[in-house]
Amino acid sequence: MPTLIAVSGPAGSGKTTWISQFFQAAPDSPQFYLSPGLGDISVDLARIGYRFPLVQVIPENQIQIALTALPETATVYIELGFHLDLNSPFFAALPCRRVAVVPPDLTQSIWHDWADEVIPGNPALPETNWPAALLEKPPQLWRSALMGQVFDPPSLDAIWAELTGGAYGAVQRAKGIFEMPDGRAFYIDFVAGLPGSEYVELQIPRWLSGRPQRYSGIEVTGWSLDTAAIAQIILDGCLTEEVIAQYQAQVLAADPAVAP
Amino acid sequence: MKLAVISCIHGNYEALNAVLSDIDDHQADQIYCLGDLVGYGPHPNAVVEMIRSLDIPTCQGCWDEDIVEGLNACECSYPSQLAEQRGRQAHEWTNQVIHPEVRDYLATLPLTLRQDNLCFVHGSPNSQHEYLLQDMDGFVALERVLATEADVLFCGHTHIPYVRQLNHGKLSVSIQQPGQSAQSQQFEAPLKSIINAGSVGEPRHGRPNATYVIYDTETAATTLREVPYDYQKTCADIIEKGLPPVFAWRLAQGLEFAERAEDPEHVCQR
Amino acid sequence: MAHWAILSGIEGNLAAYEAVLADIKRLRQTVTELFILGDVIGLQGNNEGVVARLRSPQPGELIPQVCTGWWEEQALSLYGLRGLPDAPELRASQGQGAVKHLWDDLSRETVQWLNSLSFGFFELDCLLIHGSTVSYDDALTPETPVMVMCDRIMRANANNLFCGRSGQTFEYHLRSGSIPSTVTTLDQATDQEGQSLQPWQVVGVGCVGRPGQPPTYTLYNPGSNQVTFKTVTPAGVRGFGRSPAQPRR
Repeated sequence: MPTLIAVSGPAGSGKTTWISQFFQAAPDSPQFYLSPGLGDISVDLARIGYRFPLVQVIPENQIQIALTALPETATVYIELGFHLDLNSPFFAALPCRRVAVVPPDLTQSIWHDWADEVIPGNPALPETNWPAALLEKPPQLWRSALMGQVFDPPSLDAIWAELTGGAYGAVQRAKGIFEMPDGRAFYIDFVAGLPGSEYVELQIPRWLSGRPQRYSGIEVTGWSLDTAAIAQIILDGCLTEEVIAQYQAQVLAADPAVAP
Repeated sequence: MKLAVISCIHGNYEALNAVLSDIDDHQADQIYCLGDLVGYGPHPNAVVEMIRSLDIPTCQGCWDEDIVEGLNACECSYPSQLAEQRGRQAHEWTNQVIHPEVRDYLATLPLTLRQDNLCFVHGSPNSQHEYLLQDMDGFVALERVLATEADVLFCGHTHIPYVRQLNHGKLSVSIQQPGQSAQSQQFEAPLKSIINAGSVGEPRHGRPNATYVIYDTETAATTLREVPYDYQKTCADIIEKGLPPVFAWRLAQGLEFAERAEDPEHVCQR
Repeated sequence: MAHWAILSGIEGNLAAYEAVLADIKRLRQTVTELFILGDVIGLQGNNEGVVARLRSPQPGELIPQVCTGWWEEQALSLYGLRGLPDAPELRASQGQGAVKHLWDDLSRETVQWLNSLSFGFFELDCLLIHGSTVSYDDALTPETPVMVMCDRIMRANANNLFCGRSGQTFEYHLRSGSIPSTVTTLDQATDQEGQSLQPWQVVGVGCVGRPGQPPTYTLYNPGSNQVTFKTVTPAGVRGFGRSPAQPRR
C-alpha cells in the first residue's frame, strides 16, 4: 500500500524544508509531492521539481486521478498550506499519517489537535510592528506566473527591497523564482521579521536561447497589498526581447562552454 | 563668517522651509546652494521662487540642467531599468508643471561658484553627474580639489553628507625621456577638504530628515546638520500631485527615489 | 615571449610608416603585437594609401590593431558620425581649408572603416589609447601634474597607460604615493584612513609621421614591463658599415 504523509503547520514553520529532507537521497521507491490549493503550478511546486527531478510533482487538477493510481511502493508527501481547512472532508477521508511542523514554543493549536506526530520546526515568526487591526483579517495571497520574463538584476533588487520593505502593503511572506539575463534562475524567499532574504541559485541548465520556456513566478502573502502597483513594477523590471538577446549573446561569446 | 551650504532640494518645499529656519537659528551670514532644486518632489516652482527671493547663490545641478536642456542623461547614469523609468517619469512631470520664468532662471545658473579659497559645485568640478563619495580613492578625491585651485570643495549629488580631510598626500615620481637623465620629483599636497552638503529634499542616509552643512570660514569648523520636518506633508503632496506613490514611500524611508549609478565616476560624454 | 610595438601619429605619412615597419622587421626580437594609437590620417600625406596599407598587411606582417585618435574623431565629426557635427574643433585649430581638405580627401569607405575602430585597447594591465580615458584630446606629457596623471591611471583601472596624443616619447613612473585622510559622517565621528598607491607608469609612445622629425615608436615587453623607445634613422643617414640588425639606441 502507498504511504501517504500529510504535513501541515503555520506559515513559515518549515513544512517544505521538513519534507525536502526525505527527497535528498536517491529514492529507491517512487516519491510524489503535492500541495493542494497551489493550483497546477506554483513557486513551491516548481522549486521541488527543479531541486528533485526524480520526485513527481502532482498538479492540483490531477490529484484525484493520481491518488487512485499510485504504485504500491509509492510515498506521497501532501503539504497542506496554512490557509487550508484541515477538517475538509477530502483530507479527512485520506488514509494518511498526519505530521504537524510547528514552532517549538507552541504547545496548543489546531495543528496539534489534528496531527498524529508533532515536529518542532522554525521558531515562531518574530512580532512585526503592524497595527493589530490589520492582522485581524486573514492575509491576502497574490500570485503571478512570470514564465518567459527575464529581469534586469539591479531592478529586481530594488523591486524586492521595496516589496519586502512595505512599499506596496504589509508583506508577511514573498517568494519567487526569477530568470536572469545570464541564463541562471534564482529562488528568493522573504519572511517578515527575519533579516534579509534567502537567495538560492537553482541547479538547472542556463537558458540562453530567447525567453525561457520554463516556470518562473512570484507569490506574495500580506495585508493591504497594492497588487496593481506590484504587477506594474515587476513589469518595469523585466527586459525586452532585444536586451535579453544581447545579454545572452554576450554570455555565449564570453564562455561558449555554457551553451546548452 | 558662517556659511550654510544646502543642496539637492528636489522640489521638497517643506524640507527647504525647515532647513531655512534651522539656518536662521544658527545665524549663518551667507547661504550657498549646490543645485538640483527640482526633480522628483511636488513643489519645484515654489522651491525655485524661495531660493530666488532670498538671493541664494546657486550652482546648476543635473536635474536643473535636464529641465533646461531636455532630458539628456544617458541610461548609464541610472543603476537599473526601474530607476531609469522613474527618473523619466519624474522628469516629465516636472517638465510639464515648471513655469517658464523658473526654467529661464535655471538656465542662468553657473556650474561653479567661488568664494576665496572655497569652491562650490553640484557633483564634481568635472561634471554635474559625477559622484564624489566619501570612500572614493583619496588620490582621485585630491585631484578633484586640486583641479579647482581651492582648498575646500563643497559638493552635493550623493545625498549623504560628509566631511573628508585629505592630509598632505605625498607622491614620488620619476620621469625619463630619451637622451635625458631621469628626473625624480616629490610632490606634497597641502591640506585639502571635500565637504558634501547632503540633501535637503531627498535624503538617502536612512532617515527622512533633511541634511545640510554649516561651515565657519575662520576656524574651518564644519557641522553636519540633520533637521526633522513634516515629511508626511511632502509625501501626501507627492501622491496628490499624481507622482508615483513609491516616491513618497522612499522619502519616508530616507531612501533616494533612484539610487546612484553603479560606476559613480562615470561621466557620460553625450 | 611577447613584444609589443606601439605607435601613433602616422598622419598620412606612408613613407614614415613603411620605415617603421622596416625597422620592426630588423629587430632582434620578434614583435608579437602591433598597436597603432590613432591619428593614422592627417592633412599632409596619403591618407588613403596609409589606410589601405593598414587594412591589408603584406603576407607575414602583423595585423595592426588600430584605435581612433584626434584626426579620426575630426573626420567622423565632419561626416556626422560622432560628436558635434561639422568638426568645430578641426575648424578652430586648423582652419576652414583643413575642413575642406579632409572632406575631399577621404572616401566613404575609409570613413566607414574609421568609424569601426575601437576607442582603445585593454590588454593585461595596460590601457592603450590615443589621449586618455577622459578624452581623445587629452595630451599627457612629461610636464603633466602628477595628480592629473594619477587621475587618468585610476580612471583607466590599469597599471600601464600608453598614449600618443602629445607625440612625445616619455616614461612617467609613480614610485610611491600615500595619503592619510579622515572622514566624518552623520553617524560616525571621525574615521582615520590611509591609502597608498601601487607603482604605475604612463608612457608616451612617440609619433611616426610628423614632418621634420624622425619617426619614433615604442617597444614594450609585458613580461618584464620594460619600455624601449625607438627612433627610426632616415635611410640616407644610416651607414658607416653599421649592421641594420643592430639599430642605434
